Parts: sequence; structure tokens; C-alpha cells
Amino acid sequence: MTRLEFTEKLREGLTGLPQSDIEERAAFFSEMIDDLMEDGMSEEEAVAHIGPVEDVIRQIVSETPLSKLVRERVRARRKPGVLMIILLVLGSPVWISVLLAALAAVLCVYITLWSLVIALWACDLAIFVAGAASVVSGIFTAAQGQAAQGAAITGAGIALIGLSVFAGFVCFYAGKLAVLITAKSAVLIKSMFVRKGNRS
Amino acid sequence: MDVQLKRGLLEVCVLAAIRNNESYGYKIIKDTRPYAELSESTLYTILKRLETAGMLTIRSAEHDGRLRKYYSITGAGIRRLEEFRSEWQEMMSIYRFVTGEGTDNDQT
Repeated sequence: MTRLEFTEKLREGLTGLPQSDIEERAAFFSEMIDDLMEDGMSEEEAVAHIGPVEDVIRQIVSETPLSKLVRERVRARRKPGVLMIILLVLGSPVWISVLLAALAAVLCVYITLWSLVIALWACDLAIFVAGAASVVSGIFTAAQGQAAQGAAITGAGIALIGLSVFAGFVCFYAGKLAVLITAKSAVLIKSMFVRKGNRS
Repeated sequence: MDVQLKRGLLEVCVLAAIRNNESYGYKIIKDTRPYAELSESTLYTILKRLETAGMLTIRSAEHDGRLRKYYSITGAGIRRLEEFRSEWQEMMSIYRFVTGEGTDNDQT
């Protein structure tokens, strides 16, 4: 790949970022290629040394905060034609509702995900409380003279507490998984902004 | 190595590379290469972060008919290097305590 091809692909892949950011990055890598060539590499070798342009793009996108991408999208759309404005206004009942529905859907997914985690923790807590209550109840039963029954109830209580500890680990890992899913989907949404930018 | 730790270490490496003289991108990578593997993308991010933190300044100058960016350390950058040195002196004494090296408990 030549230096020109590399920087062109870089610029394309970064559409959606502020133009100044894109130019800065392109200039940085162009300068780097020049220095590598000064050190003796050919243009092809220098470009190859930097690595696949897709990797570079991915790293840049993942480092750019979502707010920056959104702001740039909004800014890019600031001057639509008259026809565009008319269409936007006329069509607003449609696209506003669709947008709200989409946002609501995304929100529902997150609420569901985290409700599951919360529900798991609630069950865990319930088991623990039941166990603790049984332990106490069993002690009282034994104190009233019914030693065998008391022991059995306390024993069951201890078993429940043990179960809640085990279930606690399950809840913990479920929470970790939920965090992972949330983070991955955030990156996915970000890349949607960058990819969409390529079409406009 | 822990990612955050590595990032912090790379930052001070870059500062160290420009401590005595201003330097430019590729030279910084070459100077740090014996000690740490620094990719071009990573270097860009670090330089940007250091600039935002006021630990370096940038100037563009002509070199061989093209523009090259030169990075110089600032007072804040030098202070960061000093901080780093004292942080690690502390870490080294803890290290010696934990491993027992260099103390009376040295079993080696």
C-alpha cells in the first residue's frame, strides 16, 4: 500500500470524527511514514510497519468518546436544504415516534438485563434471610425442649445460608456479564455512528 | 502487565525521551524501543494526553522540505518524572520487604 492509499483509507474510516481530528491523525501518520523512509525503509515497508489501517481505525474509534461522535453528527447536519427542512417537519410525527420507539427499545433491553441481575440478588438475599430466620427459630425450638426438631430446623437454616453464599457467586458473575454486555454494546453503537458517516 | 500500569509507564517513558532535548515522533519510538514497545497509534494517544495535561508543548518546524512536529517537556512534565521516581523508590522498598531481598531475612 502506498502512503496516499493508507491516509485515504484512514480518512475514510474515520468519517464521523471531527475534521480537525482526522487531519491531525493523518498528518501524524504521514510524518511517521516520512521518518521511517528517512531511516531507510521503502514507502511500502513503512506503511506495512505501521500495521493494518483497520486496526489503527478501530483503536482510534474506541478511544474517541461517544459524545464527540454524536456532536460531530449533529454539526454535520446543520445546514440542510429547504426541501430537507420541509420533509423533516412534515415527516416529524413519523421519525420522532420511530426514534423514541428505538430509544425505548434499547432502554428496555438494558432494564431487562439489569432486572435479571437484581432479581438474582433478591432471590439470594431471600434465601439468606430464610436461612438466618431458620437458625434462630431452631434455637428457640430447642430451648423450649424440642432438641431434635430444633437441631433439624437450625441445620436446615445453616444449609440455606450456605446455599445463599454459593448463589452469591452466581449473582456476582451474572453482574460481571451484564457489565461486559453493556460495554460491548456501547462500542457497537459508537461504531454505528462512524460507519453511518461513511455513507453521508 | 496490568493495562493501566503499562499506560502510565509508557507515559513517563515518552516524557523521559524528551526530558533533555525536544524530540519528534519516530525518534521517541526509537529511543524507547530498548525499554518498551511503543506503537505509532499508542504514541499519538500518549502525546495527546500529555499535551492536554500540560506536560509537553508542540512546535512545527520545517525539515527536509516537509513539516515535522517537535515535542518539548514542560515544568509539569518534569514534576511528573520526579513523582515517578519517588513512587518507585517507595515501591522498591516495599519490594525488598516482600521478597526479603537485601535485608537480614535474605535467604538466597
